[in-house]
Order: sequence, then structure tokens, then C-alpha cells
Amino acid sequence: MEMPKFKMPDLSKVKDIDFKNLDYIKLAKDFWYGKPHGERRIGDLYEEKTGLYKHREWRGVKDTFYYFNMIWLYNYIHMVSDIMRFNGLGVFAKGLWRYRWVGQTYLPVLHWFDRGMEGMRGEALRASAWHYRAMVCETIRQFQRMFAADTKLNGGKRNELWYKTIAHDETVAGAIFYPWRDELDDVPLQMIPYFVTCHVNSHTVLNYIDAMQSIGLPGDPCPMCQAESGIFVLDDYPDYSPVLVTSNEACDGSVGTSIITDWFWDKPLFAMPQPMQFDDPLVQKHCRNEIEQCWKFIEEQLGVPYSEEQLIKYQESFNKLTEFEQEKWEVAAKTDFYPINGVAQALYRIYYSQDGDRPIWHEVDAHVRKILTKCVENKINPFPETRHRVIAWSCAPLYYSNWCTWAYNCWGLNCIINMDSLMFDIVVRTDTHEHMMEDFTIYNEWAPMRRMAVGGYKHIFELWENKERFNCDMVMMYDQVQCKGMDGVHGMFEDEFRNRNIHAIWMPHALPDKRTVSREEIRRLINDYMTTVMHEEPLDPSLLDFDDSMSW
Amino acid sequence: MCKFGKFLKKFLHLAVGLYALLFAVFYFDLDGKLLFYVVEPFLCKHYDDMPRKDVLKTEYSMDKFPKYEYGK
Repeated sequence: MEMPKFKMPDLSKVKDIDFKNLDYIKLAKDFWYGKPHGERRIGDLYEEKTGLYKHREWRGVKDTFYYFNMIWLYNYIHMVSDIMRFNGLGVFAKGLWRYRWVGQTYLPVLHWFDRGMEGMRGEALRASAWHYRAMVCETIRQFQRMFAADTKLNGGKRNELWYKTIAHDETVAGAIFYPWRDELDDVPLQMIPYFVTCHVNSHTVLNYIDAMQSIGLPGDPCPMCQAESGIFVLDDYPDYSPVLVTSNEACDGSVGTSIITDWFWDKPLFAMPQPMQFDDPLVQKHCRNEIEQCWKFIEEQLGVPYSEEQLIKYQESFNKLTEFEQEKWEVAAKTDFYPINGVAQALYRIYYSQDGDRPIWHEVDAHVRKILTKCVENKINPFPETRHRVIAWSCAPLYYSNWCTWAYNCWGLNCIINMDSLMFDIVVRTDTHEHMMEDFTIYNEWAPMRRMAVGGYKHIFELWENKERFNCDMVMMYDQVQCKGMDGVHGMFEDEFRNRNIHAIWMPHALPDKRTVSREEIRRLINDYMTTVMHEEPLDPSLLDFDDSMSW
Repeated sequence: MCKFGKFLKKFLHLAVGLYALLFAVFYFDLDGKLLFYVVEPFLCKHYDDMPRKDVLKTEYSMDKFPKYEYGK
């Protein structure tokens, strides 16, 4: 693909402006408060294809300077300070030079903020940006730990950190390793090199998908599994741990990934399956047994004894995050005062609940709690142009997780909740060992995708009760075209939508691979539904059709 | 004006100038343009040219490690 050339701004249109007849009062008002939603024309700010901005959005004085000071500057400064805090600039520089997924992805991270926060004002802007800040901080912590322990960056030497780090599949919950949090650290193998990169820079992952196909894998298996395996093919995983704990979650594709991983990682590996039909009581017993075996494996391999005290301490701390999440959902479900946009809600929830208890989540939740309380007490509606309250179901396109920001700006579609946010929804009892293990087992079974998407048809159809619970009038139905499991229930959903008279828009995508169904195509499908079925006019027509094919 | 006053004035001028410069970088998305047109292509070329281990030559030894099963 040919790179578009950098263009100087076109100033010829300035000559055509009739300065005498300009409405200066309106101009001053727009300068001070920002343009009203219907007049913003956000699409005019984009450069052709790249998605870069001719200039960033003017949101009025207060919100523009909030964005500049408290988001752009604040996050650039904190990215540097986080790197220094977590093992230093030298470690980062070595990792950046060695690994494509960090160099290509994490430098343009502020553009990821831009895409998620487009058009946001006031409390929505503030609360959503805090969620992004937490994810950036935790991402830096994880890759810095990987690099500090990495034999590839340390002349082949296994240092102390290497012996004290547990590697695990990104689909194994970080909670499993709470019993060792004070002595060891756990870092998921694929969460940063694969999952987070897709959201920040959609170009990076394509290298890994292509690498896997170059050694003979057909193109149609789940691209998540292809990409995770492809990172091995390009020898692009750090070697930061003596062991690996893998999972079959979400599906058989992940089992295939584990086989490739076992080959290339070449270290003691414990496969800890998470059951699919988790309603069966016998399955609970089996699942608990698997967790306990995994704990024995960690004890044996890392030489550090299991600590129930640490498990309880971190689980109780994490329970506080879950309780606050449930409070947020109450506000989202029953009021118009919920200040978090769809993409911030979805990414933050899946990230922290999969990752487990970390100080940054508590820090950010304290900020968000203040904003949430302010919205509720003062009855502030952070999304005043909402026309439809949307629930998004099944697995989302990673390369276009910010579709909800676009959909709100263009059509007033406000994505209130999504399927993956609802997993891990259990406050684990810690009063007795038996209670804790019962709940902890269920917690492990209610992982992303497993809880609903691969948990049996009864669970995937929890959509209907959650649609009612969150007071939504529309469904955004994700259609991961390479997910064989979800393909199997496509027709059942079609029937149910028809029978229940529900407005549902199907959104085809190939998870991380933007080449299969482009972002432009996704927007076109939503536009078509909104015009032909809903007979509605866009709030911002400049966002209907634009080319961002080369955008991050 | 005392020395401290002069220093403070100079410092404030510099700080305001730097702030204005950073705001221009922010507003005109110059950070994004630099990263897209210069930094990313440079880094990608570096990663493309990097010699890599042929991992396919790694032996897949089925019995290298025991089956980890505990107290079933």
C-alpha cells in the first residue's frame, strides 16, 4: 500500500470567507463553548486515509484545555514517569529496539486516546480518559517487567526476575496467581504483544497473522489464535519466565495455540482448561481441582509455597473493584447520568478483570467515582444526544473498538454495555476456604467469551435479560466471521430478533484483522440500517463516509 | 529589578513559550504526523531488516517434560 504524502494545509479557502457578514457572536460562542453536536463536522478534521487530524478538535476553551493539559500532556508525562518507575528507560529502549509490537504500537498511544474521545465533552471526556490512563499504566508495567526479566535483552542470562515471573495465557485470569503476588509476579504472554496492540495500532498484528499463514496455516481459523502463534513464528516474544500456564479459553482454536506455544516456548507447561458447560455441579468440582493442580505446579516449579493469606488479601481488594463496577452498572442501567463511553467501559472492564488486582485500578476508580457521583447528584447527562441505548453482544472488532464513539457522534447510538463487560460478575466470598473456592471456581469459569459466547446457548441468550436490565432499545450484534462457535448460532439470533421485534445491527468483523471487513465497511452497514430501517438523519453527516484505511 | 525577579521573568517567558509550542504540537497533531510519517516507517524498516531465529528448527520433544498431574 502506497503511503500518502504529507500535505501542507490548503489556505486558499480563507480568501472565500465573507468577513463582513460573519456572525461574530456565534463565532465567539463556538470558541468558548465549542460547537453544538450537529455543527461539529468531525469528519472534516481527518486527513485522507491516515486518520490523522488536520488539527485536533476544538471542544470549547474549558474542554480543549482539559484535553491538552489533563489528557495529552498528563499522559505523555506519565508514560515517561511510568517507564522510569517500572525498571527504567534503559530497559524500555532495549525492548523498543528489539520488539516490533512495542515500537510500532505504543508510541502512537495518544492517538488511541483521540479516537476513543472524539466528540466527548465534560464529564464523559474526563471519566473515559481516566480509564485509558489506567490501561496505559498497567500496559507499561507489564512490558517493562517482561523486558527486565527477558533473557533475549540480557545477553541470554536468566536473572532473578526471570525466576520470579510466571507467564500465562492472556485468557488465564491473573487472579489465579494471587497466592504469590507478594513474592512473584505474573505477566500474561499475549495480552500486551497481541491484544492491546490491536486496539492501539491495527497495523502491527498483521505481521503476525501473515507470519503464521506463511508456514502453512490456512486463513480461516480464528485470527486471534493465528496472531498469538505468529508472534512465536517471528520470534517476537520475550523470554521472561521459567514456566507457562495455558488455557483452552475461549475455544479449540486456543488449544491449537497452546500446542504451538508448547513447541516454541519449550518450558514446563501446565494446561488448565476452563470448562464450557459450567452449569453442571460436577464441572465445578473438576474445575476447582484443575485450579488446585495449577497451584501445585507453580509451587513445584517456582519453589515458593502457596499463600492463602495473599489469595484472600488480593481477592478482597479485587472485590472492591467488582462492587464499584456493579454500582456503575446500576447508574448506567437506571439513569442517563453514566459518564463512561462505550469503548472506555468495554476495554477497561475486560482489561482489569482479566488482569486482576493492581493498584492503578483502585486509583482510577477513585477518580471515576467522584465524576460518577457528581453526575448523579447534579443530574448531568454526559451523552445528551442519545437517540438509542445500545447493548453490544458477542466479541468486538479489536481494530475498531472505538466504533461506539463514532456511532454516538454520527447517529446518537450510545453503547451502554457490552457482553464481555458482564463476565467475572461475582463478588468472591472469603469468609471460609470452602466458600472462597466455590466462588473462585465460578469466577474462573465466567471468563470473557467463555461466560456467554462459548458457555452454551442458554448463556449466549442472556442478551435478552441484559437488554431489559440496561434499558436498551437496540442491539449491536458482533459477527466474528472466523469464529466457528458463534457462526453456529447466527440463525438462532436472527429468528429471535425477528420474533422479539428487536432492532439489531449485525457487525461483521475478523477480530484483529482489519483487512477482512474494513472499518469503512462497518460504518457503511450501520449507516444503511440507520437510514433504510430506522429512517433517521445523521447528527454529523461528515462522519458518514470517509477513508481511514491506513489509520492506526 | 533584582536578580531573582529577572530570572523569574525569563523563566516565565520560557515556560509560556514552551507551553504555547506544546499546544501547537497538540492542536495541529504534529506528534501524530511525526510518528506516522517518520518514526513508524523508520522502526518498521528496522524490524523488517532484523535477523530472526528460525523457530521452526526448534525440536518438538514430546517427553522432555513430565505430565503435570497432581493428586487426581
